Amino acid sequence: MDLNDLQTSAGEWLGGTGPDSDIVMSSRVRLARNLAEFPFLSRATPKDRGQIERRIQTELKRALPAPDLRYFSLPPLPPVDRQFLVERHLISREHAYGKGPRGVCLGGGETISIMVNEEDHLRLQALRSGFQLRSTWEQVDDVDSRLEKVLDFAFSPQFGYLTVCPTNVGTGMRASVMLHLPALVMSQQINKVFQAVSKINLAVRGLYGEGTQASGDFYQFSNQPTLGKSELEIIETIERVIPKIIEYERTVREQLVEQRREVIEDKVWRAYGMLQTARTINSEETMDLLSAVRLGVNLKIIRDVGISTVNELFILTQPAHLQKLERSELNGPERDITRATYIRNRLAARGPSSNGATKGESKS
Amino acid sequence: MQCESCQKNAATVHLTDVSNNTKREIHLCESCAKTQGVTIKSYLNKSPSYPELLNQLVHSQAEGVTAEEKDLACPKCGITYRKFRSTGKFGCPNDYMVFKKGLLSLLEKIHGKVEHKGKVPLKATDQIAKQKELRSLRADLEKAVRDEAYEKAARLRDRIHALEGRESEA
Repeated sequence: MDLNDLQTSAGEWLGGTGPDSDIVMSSRVRLARNLAEFPFLSRATPKDRGQIERRIQTELKRALPAPDLRYFSLPPLPPVDRQFLVERHLISREHAYGKGPRGVCLGGGETISIMVNEEDHLRLQALRSGFQLRSTWEQVDDVDSRLEKVLDFAFSPQFGYLTVCPTNVGTGMRASVMLHLPALVMSQQINKVFQAVSKINLAVRGLYGEGTQASGDFYQFSNQPTLGKSELEIIETIERVIPKIIEYERTVREQLVEQRREVIEDKVWRAYGMLQTARTINSEETMDLLSAVRLGVNLKIIRDVGISTVNELFILTQPAHLQKLERSELNGPERDITRATYIRNRLAARGPSSNGATKGESKS
Repeated sequence: MQCESCQKNAATVHLTDVSNNTKREIHLCESCAKTQGVTIKSYLNKSPSYPELLNQLVHSQAEGVTAEEKDLACPKCGITYRKFRSTGKFGCPNDYMVFKKGLLSLLEKIHGKVEHKGKVPLKATDQIAKQKELRSLRADLEKAVRDEAYEKAARLRDRIHALEGRESEA
């Protein structure tokens, strides 16, 4: 059982292959489920937690056919490995630094992640590249349907799937899309988007979820209410509004190129130049510069680097990833040097062949 | 209008922050806004997010819930309604039934709805169908008794017992 295997791959969702992936980085659907015969984790004894984990672990292996399914128990993992999973969007920060028996089951080329003993007994997640909420929902729905054959989920005909927190009850579903909106940020129009989506009960968060900074111009949009609408109705609500935001971002990009071409090109090329030459660089600056480069690639200002390379750099330059790469603990300044070196190597002499577009979309 | 941050340049970035029903306007010049990018970013973090608001809602004391109901405890996991309202977390699935009365208004506030619509586990589908049939059989039974159709009533009773998994007590 080794996380280092993940290190070499990047996860399907970073491939930049899905629909509208110039703007939509990823689609994610997660379901909260609890075992009917156990108390919720808020009241569970350490013994309960152990039993819940073992029970689920056994059934996961029996119920899910994915050949690459692997279970990681979190307490024995060093903090850097847990942080590594957070950076890849495979577990939540709360799960990484939580207490007691808990784990995560990964499969389907990192498109499936099942957190065991997070806030609820089970958090099933499917994560895909680009704007494809529906197939993402179908994938996690399938996992759920297989699991419900062997596990009894807490369910009430009136309230639906019963969860620790009443904010998740009903479908137990949170559907979200991660958008890259540099032009709306640059033109200071992003707040209009926030105001518009809050009216239809969508929440906006940063790259790493609740309470995190919206770095790299990435914003996650997700449904809030989980009760009273079917899964597909919730998804349809999001599917109606996201294309409008995508369109808005594209329009502003076009305007920027038309009206301020030199300014945009300058921003993109400077960012690219900095990343290709920097000797030490911190995480925040990296995110800002990568955002400009990503915009430049999508506007075809930069043509010799593939979108998947840029997407990957957002994740692979995070602190835990760098330390896994170096196979040693690094302090802040050391990480900044390693980060700069890594980025230089990835961006040096890249041909267009590195473009992720040739990658086939794997469905699992 | 002057930038609130540097007090020098003209404010060209106007943010409106609406929280707790009060509107606050923030005016900045482009360079102050830019040095921050932060203005826009921290704006996201500063105002309570929707989940935070929900949390506050869950934690706030319920109106119209009597002291008796607040001390109502779940026989399975032991948590009281009061405890649930202070932590925002249930102790076990049974709590949803025990605290149903106070819960309905809370769910209405959070979700705008109180009835699940959507996926139903296959096992529960059978269960729900069975309960529906039981309800309808019981109604028929009552009617049969009222009509003094005792043979029919006996048949209905046997079917109800069979569905409930009990032996017929004929």
